[in-house]
Amino acid sequence: MLRYSILFDHWDMYMQGFVNTLKASVLALIGSLIIGIIIAIFRIAPIRPLNWLGAAYVEFIRNIPLVLIVFVFFVGLPAVGIRFDPFTAGTLGLTVYTAAFIAEVIRSGILAVPKGQMEAARSSGLTYLQTMRYIILPQAIKMVIPPLGNQFINLVKNSSVLGVIAGLDLMYFGDLISSETFVTFDVYIFVALFYLVLTIPLSLGVGYLERRLAKSR
Amino acid sequence: MIYFHQVNKYYGDFHVLKDINLTIHQGEVVVIIGPSGSGKSTLVRCINRLETITSGELIVDNVKVNDKNIDINQLRRNIGMVFQHFNLYPHMTVLQNITLAPMKVLRIPEKEAKETAMYYLEKVGIPDKANAYPSELSGGQQQRVAIARGLAMKPKIMLFDEPTSALDPETIGEVLDVMKQLAKEGMTMVVVTHEMGFAREVADRIVFMDQGRILEEAPPEEFFSNPKEERAKVFLRRILNH
Ligand SMILES: Nc1ncnc2c1ncn2[C@@H]1O[C@H](COP(=O)(O)OP(=O)(O)O)[C@@H](O)[C@H]1O
Ligand SMILES: [Mg+2]
Repeated sequence: MLRYSILFDHWDMYMQGFVNTLKASVLALIGSLIIGIIIAIFRIAPIRPLNWLGAAYVEFIRNIPLVLIVFVFFVGLPAVGIRFDPFTAGTLGLTVYTAAFIAEVIRSGILAVPKGQMEAARSSGLTYLQTMRYIILPQAIKMVIPPLGNQFINLVKNSSVLGVIAGLDLMYFGDLISSETFVTFDVYIFVALFYLVLTIPLSLGVGYLERRLAKSR
Repeated sequence: MIYFHQVNKYYGDFHVLKDINLTIHQGEVVVIIGPSGSGKSTLVRCINRLETITSGELIVDNVKVNDKNIDINQLRRNIGMVFQHFNLYPHMTVLQNITLAPMKVLRIPEKEAKETAMYYLEKVGIPDKANAYPSELSGGQQQRVAIARGLAMKPKIMLFDEPTSALDPETIGEVLDVMKQLAKEGMTMVVVTHEMGFAREVADRIVFMDQGRILEEAPPEEFFSNPKEERAKVFLRRILNH
């Protein structure tokens, strides 16, 4: 039987962790979507140096562990005088890391938009960036909502990396409560439940959008 | 209005346009015909620089199209283009399809852009479809929207690349009627098509292409009754006999 007293006695800590995990996730979600879109455009724009830059970003970032990227922000940059608190360092690391995966997803979506869309828009006098914004990206993102949703679910789970650098997230408070109470199993079960509170609605939402899009097209 | 002088174009090693010389004046309707793969689309797409030329000179509306220093978007706003597969924006309504470029390129206020859009929708005969999505329209209706979309920019030139080739036979007529009307009103038009009836009736000039070259250029009466080139004769016989 779960010891619910653990949850009630440490409710404030759980909530603080939950709110911070939610905050880090939302910030990283917005940030990684923006950076991901920019990197995706770098990769496909008809400008060679940008293609290389985009490819380098993706290959470099997605092939090293997330924890290392977070450490770069937490201990690497302070060494050259740029200092972040653990929460910020963790969120930045998470953003930069997730952006590499999002970029690949968005890129595949852009490539799936028929060539004629770009031609029609450009031949009407729209610039490349206007065409991306109004014509290509809206269609591309629609097509990649399922894989994009998976990336966001991964992002929420990966935010537990903040715990490693005392980032005041769910995982961090879980560790704290556990070392205070000498209880492990029950403490982390509640931590897991809080993660599910975030990820299950996300998962259901993606499923809903997916079904709706399947119908509309 | 449009001036090709000794234009050549290669795709890698493949010589797709060969020594093209062609002048199209304001208000003229020029129909380009020729077998598939002869370079008709490529020629038309060079005019608004969807394709770049390899050598020669191409001047459109007094602008050297392939000059690095020109603002291509400035030139393109004066050139409407209609494609074989319509290329309407599927995530936007008909009205949004038509108002996008006027609002974002010409910076026309939304209200005015909508009024202009409705004017051209009336003109192509489907004002009742303003709020429909492209997927809800027939091919002929979609192509008429595409024409309205081009016209809403008030272009000086309209390019048509096989605008009826993807249509069901029963909807071809409605699109050709819109194009005939446009020609009558004095629009400068370059039309790639296999519709010989349209060419005969509307064109000021027929340009016959084969294997990347312009082989013959003549007024329709002359071209259809008495083609000079052997390959034009063969082509006409094949296309008129089915
Ligand atoms: N992007 C391209 N790369 C290489 N070859 C091409 C490309 N586009 C067209 N071609 C070739 O150029 C030739 C002329 O094409 P096109 O202008 O489309 O002919 P048409 O419109 O007369 O059928 C064809 O042989 C075609 O295969
Ligand atoms: Mg063609």
